[in-house]
Amino acid sequence: MTAFLELRGVSVRLGRFELEVDAALSEGWTALFGPSGAGKTTLLEIITGLRRPDAGRIVMKDRVLVDAAEKISVPPHRRKIGYVPQDLALFPHLDVRANLVYGSPVAKAEDESEFQHVVERLEIVQLLDKKPDALSGGEKQRVALARALLARPELLLLDEPLSALDAPLKERIIPFLQRVRDEFRVPTLYVTHAADEVVALCERAIVLRAGRIVADGPVSDLFVLRESPGYRLR
Amino acid sequence: MHPSPRRLVLALALLLGLSPALFAADVQVFAAASLTDVLQAIAKDYEAKSGDHIRFNFAGSNVLARQIEQGAPAAIFISADEAQMKNVAKAGLVDAATQRDLLANTLVIIAPNDSTLANFQPVDFTKPEIKRIALADPRTVPAGVYSKAYLEKLGLWSKVEAKVIPTANVRAALAAVESGNAETGMVYKTDASMSKSAKVIFSVPQADGPKIVYPIALLKTSTGDDAAKKFLAYLESPAAGAVFVHYGFLTEK
Amino acid sequence: MSSLDWPAIGLSFGAATLAVLINLVPGVGLAWLLARRAWPGKSLVETIVTLPLVMPPVATGLLLLELLGRRGWLGSMLHSLNIEVVFTWKAVVAAMAVMSFPFVVRNARVALEAVGTRVEQVAATLGASPWRVAWTVTLPLARRGIAAGAVMAFARALGEFGATILVAGNIPGSTTTISTSIYSDILLGHDGDAYGLIVVSIGLAFVAILASELLVRERRL
Repeated sequence: MTAFLELRGVSVRLGRFELEVDAALSEGWTALFGPSGAGKTTLLEIITGLRRPDAGRIVMKDRVLVDAAEKISVPPHRRKIGYVPQDLALFPHLDVRANLVYGSPVAKAEDESEFQHVVERLEIVQLLDKKPDALSGGEKQRVALARALLARPELLLLDEPLSALDAPLKERIIPFLQRVRDEFRVPTLYVTHAADEVVALCERAIVLRAGRIVADGPVSDLFVLRESPGYRLR
Repeated sequence: MHPSPRRLVLALALLLGLSPALFAADVQVFAAASLTDVLQAIAKDYEAKSGDHIRFNFAGSNVLARQIEQGAPAAIFISADEAQMKNVAKAGLVDAATQRDLLANTLVIIAPNDSTLANFQPVDFTKPEIKRIALADPRTVPAGVYSKAYLEKLGLWSKVEAKVIPTANVRAALAAVESGNAETGMVYKTDASMSKSAKVIFSVPQADGPKIVYPIALLKTSTGDDAAKKFLAYLESPAAGAVFVHYGFLTEK
Repeated sequence: MSSLDWPAIGLSFGAATLAVLINLVPGVGLAWLLARRAWPGKSLVETIVTLPLVMPPVATGLLLLELLGRRGWLGSMLHSLNIEVVFTWKAVVAAMAVMSFPFVVRNARVALEAVGTRVEQVAATLGASPWRVAWTVTLPLARRGIAAGAVMAFARALGEFGATILVAGNIPGSTTTISTSIYSDILLGHDGDAYGLIVVSIGLAFVAILASELLVRERRL
């Protein structure tokens, strides 16, 4: 396993809460699993560059993104790390098409076909001229995901994408996400507190609790099927 | 139940002790802005002697006349020209028996202390280096009305009208010259003599200039007000007259 | 029938427009700094910006007079360049700009805070530099609130009196505004003319406030 993203001694203190992590992400989908308040969103903010850690080093594919000791911090707009926050944050003043192309590089012939590809795969072709406030919850999800993918990130961070959805909708979307995972092959850090999502979508998992990593490894090692529907942590 | 004798004596003593305050009267005087310093000095002496309290409202006489017409509670009005007193009289508010001319004044042309203007004559207003002439608003404020009348008499008004900076009252005209924002101005001699940052560069001889008088009158609403009548009499007395002269006014008799 | 002081109306309108235009970029810029950044001296600046709202206008006018008069710190420099400010239309614009600045800043700040940082953060992760984020995301979303602030600033500038009359005087033909013209009409006893101007100023204020309300209310984004 080659480390795609390395976090060494990354720590931050927010009031009484302290986050401290050492981890290495491989390519593929990794879950960031833990209860609310564990520090998952904070860790995402640090990885994207929206928050500075007090100490530590973050390296992605030989590129130093953060080195607190050397006072290095690459600004978010240069990290090539896509981020879909929990509230999606679609640009309300732009239509879907303008939202989608916001982060993508200058339009060229192949970009146009890539645009078509992503739009078809995420089944949002019919939404292109609509404004975000005219979309349903699931449609907004897909648009936000497509927007992040079109920016060609090297790493994708998804913050609890399915937490706002009810069980039936979740069941329909999970296979969809699996297809996206297999087709676009972007290394992804998938944040969730739902064990079934971890098992369905990710090969590895990092378990975060109260600001510390308590487990880190293959999902099959960490999660076990329990009697009532669902998975639980070993 | 009757209060005890002790209580009665106490109450009486308290009443007597307060009586100067109870019997001290307030006299409301509306007076032209140019009288600010001299009247405040006179009032200080008077208050010490009489125990009455004089309240002043100083502004351009046109503003005061307007306020009185609208019902402002003035007991005595001292205007800087006859026109404004006439306005108030027309509204039927003046006790005509008490009206007389209290003071006279003359006009001067002033410049900031560091001004290099020398041997100034009114005709020099037309020179190009004089860009601004500060006057109390010549349409409404007596000091400005007088200044305009004088300049018209000399045939200069139409030539210098564009340079005039009209101010709300004569003190504001003085301030404009003192600050250097206007190179010249015209104010009363009494205003100029008070100023430390502006100097007189020409005095309008009293014979040439307009007749500047300050009429004083009791307002009808205060005909029964003894304190007001007492102060009015004091203003016309030699004691007050000496102070007026000290400040540069001319007393009328 | 009264006659309207058209030069005064024209000057009020033109000077108020110029004042708001002068305030717009610095005002929105400062609002952005106040809304998005913490920095030493921030509370002091917030207080100074609010002062013209709270101080008596004539007091602000006096400070302006000290600053812009021929002997003043700024005025003396301009005077040596042969530029006169006090007692000219430029002083009218200056007084209006100072008195209406707080409206631009405060409204813009509220609008920017309402946009929130989330969309800005996502825009950054999509590769947009801070300038691009401000231009393509923040400002378009804050546009209505900023416009409302500009309209309120305009209305305040139109109604400005206390500071204006001190620094610009009320010189017929060059620095009379709607407000100062009403004032002198009253002093001169020309009540008919005064009422005419009063109707004009109420009408303008009405339109300004209505526009401001519509801008803020329509379609909350």
